[in-house]
Amino acid sequence: MRPNWIARATAVTFTVVVALCCLFPFAWMALSSFKTASELYAVPPAWWPSAPTLDNYRRVLFASNVPRYFLNSLVISAGSTGLALGLALFAAYGFARFRFPGRRSSLAFVMAGQLLPTAAIIVPLFMALRALGLVNTYLGLILVYTILTLPLSVWMLSGYIRAVPVELEEAATIDGASRLGVLFRITLPLCVPGIAAVVVYAFVTTWNEFIFALVFAQDSHVKTLPIGLAEFTSEFTTDWGAVMAASMVMTVPVVVAFLALQRAFIGGLTAGAVKG
Amino acid sequence: MRQRGGLLFVMPALVVLALLIVFPVCYMGWLAATDSQGHMALRDNVAAVTGARATRIAVWNTIVYVGASIVLQLVTGTAVGILLNQAFRGRAVVRSLVLLPWVVPGIVAATTWAWMLHTEFGIVNQLLLQVGAVSKPVGWLVDPDMAMPSLIAVNVWKQSPFVAIMVLAGLQAVPKELYEAARVDGASFLGEVRHVMLPGIRDVLVGVGLLLTIWGLNGITLVYAMTRGGPANRTLILPIQIFRLAFDAFQLNQAAALSAMFFACTLVLVWFYVRLSGRREDRA
Repeated sequence: MRPNWIARATAVTFTVVVALCCLFPFAWMALSSFKTASELYAVPPAWWPSAPTLDNYRRVLFASNVPRYFLNSLVISAGSTGLALGLALFAAYGFARFRFPGRRSSLAFVMAGQLLPTAAIIVPLFMALRALGLVNTYLGLILVYTILTLPLSVWMLSGYIRAVPVELEEAATIDGASRLGVLFRITLPLCVPGIAAVVVYAFVTTWNEFIFALVFAQDSHVKTLPIGLAEFTSEFTTDWGAVMAASMVMTVPVVVAFLALQRAFIGGLTAGAVKG
Repeated sequence: MRQRGGLLFVMPALVVLALLIVFPVCYMGWLAATDSQGHMALRDNVAAVTGARATRIAVWNTIVYVGASIVLQLVTGTAVGILLNQAFRGRAVVRSLVLLPWVVPGIVAATTWAWMLHTEFGIVNQLLLQVGAVSKPVGWLVDPDMAMPSLIAVNVWKQSPFVAIMVLAGLQAVPKELYEAARVDGASFLGEVRHVMLPGIRDVLVGVGLLLTIWGLNGITLVYAMTRGGPANRTLILPIQIFRLAFDAFQLNQAAALSAMFFACTLVLVWFYVRLSGRREDRA
């Protein structure tokens, strides 16, 4: 439109500044993770590791609980994602395709669950889980993580299901398919992008979660990665090289998943929160 | 639309949510109203919590932390969202990069920034010293006057991308004709921002603002991992205080009383958000 070079220069500068602010911490994390102790604690700090070392990674991967925590995180995130997805599929189908008494209030209840003040219910939840013997178990964490991810999963999926033409389902019903048959053979195959979005969302949310893990997993055989990371920093002398290496181990899978599936990620996110 | 059977599909999810949410909330009420022997002690618990100096400090800190974070997140996020809505080469790449802070685990953001803001070895102090902006290293996380602003800054860095992507989605729903009309009227870029873009995303901003408030109130990870409420309680926010009461002091009943009050406050916000979204659904 207006070939205004001042506006252009402002926009370019702003873009560069924004991109730098977003990226620099990750670059610094990566650089620090390859530095030796003497370079990490040099004043003034060295920008570039002059003798890149894998020692920090060696300490994290072979001399700490991090591999075990990685496995725990994997089991808990996968279990919770599976549970949330299963429950959400049916619930979303019910909300999208049926008008039943109490539909509006049930939907409001699910939505309110998405906004639940987790910090407020952590004490009673802890006591309830303790009474049921579920503290320090995979099952306990899988269950509590379902509260975090189920509401938005229902919300996202019902949007995708609504987009599938009802006529397709009616045609299948006329051909003699049962209602469950319709759901699994007609509707679900058409909602694969929505399912992918829910899986990514639920997995990343549980993978990243910190506070529930801190309270409900106090034993090293169920602790998750975020807790492992906090353990490195909580000691009096923090091993910053190992902390940065462990941060890398934890961040890389999330970033790779995000970059590979970002269409599903952003689509699900905005569908859930903007379109309503 | 079919009428019956819907409840059957919805039921499993509702039952799980009810068990995991309604039951603990009721249990919280019971704990708040009794002492550790199970005798009625609601007034004692409430008095103990409201009378404690730590509670008053925590309430004030929470207001400062959440309030300042939200204003800054909305401003930065909107600016970045408008930027991403412009057509330029490499926009898709920048859009992915901008989302990274929001995607990474909160604990990673906390540890990385704690390292960068380290008083002696942190890169931030180093850069500021080199440029000459400060004459001696700043104790970003250990100086009582700097800890809260530092946490707010990290929180803004972490959450603004979410605002930006929401604003972007909202802007793309603004009809093209409005821009064209504004241009015909000779509006400048800032005029377009003020008269076309901001009115177009008002609903989005209100919804996102409420979401950010609710998340901010619950957002304990950054504070817990970076300062644990210190130095000298200057970053003690309510979730941390609940945590301390319950798991450091083992005053579970007092912790439940404080939780219940905190819960009631957030519930008001949640109610506004649900009503707002309901209205939007009706209009759509």
